[in-house]
Amino acid sequence: MAPRAPALPRLMAPRKHEPTGRLTPLLFLPRGVVALLMLAAFELLTGCMDEVAPRPAIASTGDPIVDGNAELAAAPPKDRVLWDDRIAATALRIGNFDEAKAKFDDAIVRGGGIINNTADAAKARSLFHPEDTKTFIGEPYERIMDYYYRAILYWRDGEPDNARACYRTGQVLGSDVENHQYTSDFVLLYYLEGFASAKLGEDASDVFARAQATTKRHLPPYNKDANVLVFAEYGHGPVKYAGGQYGERLRFYTEESRIRSARLTVDGHEVRLPPYDNLNHQATTRGGRVMDYILGNKAVFKSTTNTVGNVALVGAAVAADQDSRQGNEAAVGLAAVGLISKIASAATTPRADIRAWDNLPQFLSFAALKLAPGNHSGQVEYLTKDGEPDPDLTRQVAISVPADPSANTVVFLSELPR
Amino acid sequence: MNTTHRFIILSSVAATAAFFAGCANEGVQNPSGVPVTQVNPDEQGFVSGTGVESQDLVTVTDKMARSILSTPVIASAATPPRIVIDPVENATRFPIDKSLFTDRIRILLNSKATGRVVFLARDRMQALEHERELKESGQVTSSYDPNPVAFKGADYFLTGKLEGLTTQASTGTSDYILYSFQLIDARTSEIVWEDSAEIKKQGLEDAAYR
Repeated sequence: MAPRAPALPRLMAPRKHEPTGRLTPLLFLPRGVVALLMLAAFELLTGCMDEVAPRPAIASTGDPIVDGNAELAAAPPKDRVLWDDRIAATALRIGNFDEAKAKFDDAIVRGGGIINNTADAAKARSLFHPEDTKTFIGEPYERIMDYYYRAILYWRDGEPDNARACYRTGQVLGSDVENHQYTSDFVLLYYLEGFASAKLGEDASDVFARAQATTKRHLPPYNKDANVLVFAEYGHGPVKYAGGQYGERLRFYTEESRIRSARLTVDGHEVRLPPYDNLNHQATTRGGRVMDYILGNKAVFKSTTNTVGNVALVGAAVAADQDSRQGNEAAVGLAAVGLISKIASAATTPRADIRAWDNLPQFLSFAALKLAPGNHSGQVEYLTKDGEPDPDLTRQVAISVPADPSANTVVFLSELPR
Repeated sequence: MNTTHRFIILSSVAATAAFFAGCANEGVQNPSGVPVTQVNPDEQGFVSGTGVESQDLVTVTDKMARSILSTPVIASAATPPRIVIDPVENATRFPIDKSLFTDRIRILLNSKATGRVVFLARDRMQALEHERELKESGQVTSSYDPNPVAFKGADYFLTGKLEGLTTQASTGTSDYILYSFQLIDARTSEIVWEDSAEIKKQGLEDAAYR
């Protein structure tokens, strides 16, 4: 019996017709297979990695608008709307209405159309890029808030018809057609659409009825003579996080606000500002997204390729253990498949997009009142669950009503500092 | 090529194909969305449309300007009628700069049909009145007697309305917009001219946004 050759490392067994001088796994494979492997590896090393440009450091000035705009300038274009939204909300709260208008208009122009055939959206859908590769336009509740806030500024500018247009688009965004819910449950979008129509001298009874049907809370009838429109907001809005095995599920963390209502006192009259809409509810009650399905498929692909990789590598080890030529050849093939599967699994990124407009309120409220022309001083109080005002949040409010009876004075009250 | 080689090649091809294929999009209809297309208003669309854009503005105002000039009260007027623009009402779901429509119609009529109509700058009345007061008080010079009121009255009001209808389904969104404009006799309130244009658009967003 001829002496047996010393055992070679399992995956490097010599192959028929193959030189044995340099023993690497690739040398045992046909050229076509090697080419495919190299192509896959090349794709992984090049196309699958996003180049992240170094972000310049932002020196805080303490001015939220200046700092926000510096962040906006440094942010990648895909995050532009995100910063527009954040800056605009802050600008509205501190009374910088021109800045708020410019930023909301930019956000609406960029995110308000129908986006398709864009490279970043296609990447976000692909296996090897996370969802946040796409240009941010926000989830429906965030997109609605662009229009809700912009409408306040249209009221300020004496354009109730454009404010109404914003409410109507908000309703379209709020309907969840993918899940066969064809109407929004955003109360103020209906109520304020009707209020705008009433102010324009049109019949608003239908839309008022629709608004009332959306809430159990009693809605005040429209007062066409009202010349002061009070928009109030309190509490903190939803926070996004990624759930699921691979972070493929978009989830929302919500915390019930300590502040549950507000009260404005003007000229001795109390104006109640109850919570008509709850953004936490809006964010969490919407059905699944099409993108969730895609991310789910990505997660399945990642899991499956990982399992296939494990099985193939174990199979390669078992085959190599056969200590025969066929076994070694099969081991090499299985190892190659296993390697590709493991690489594909590692490169697959099902992570959901958790970029969020993070300075939104939880509750929204509205009241309309009629005040005589001139200057009025008032006080806003934010009330806890027990109906008691939080003294730290009580603020004085100055209201200036013009003599023009057709003009509307807008008062914007926010518990949120920025 | 033996069986093992075939197995290796097929496995590698399958793995590579799966690697490059967009498996995550499987089962999603129109993952890239459907480009917005313009369709005739009387055409059955597969969904609904989108908003007011510059090409709509140009199309609509071109049509309105031509139509106004051909109306008898303008075409046969002995003296150029004076027109005041009343703001357009937006009843669509798209917030827009409404003055764009009437401004472009005015510009077209002033530039293409000089002298056949005269527009009164009512939106500048505050500045005009201030200037007249300065002249009346002698604070600035005047090449004419500023005392009699010389501001002209309107013969006609030009106004319009934008109305919309939105349809939304899982297959996309469509918007129909009716642009209507009127010329109203300031003395009699008669509508002496009216014309309209209709545009319908539809589209579906990329699945990444649905």
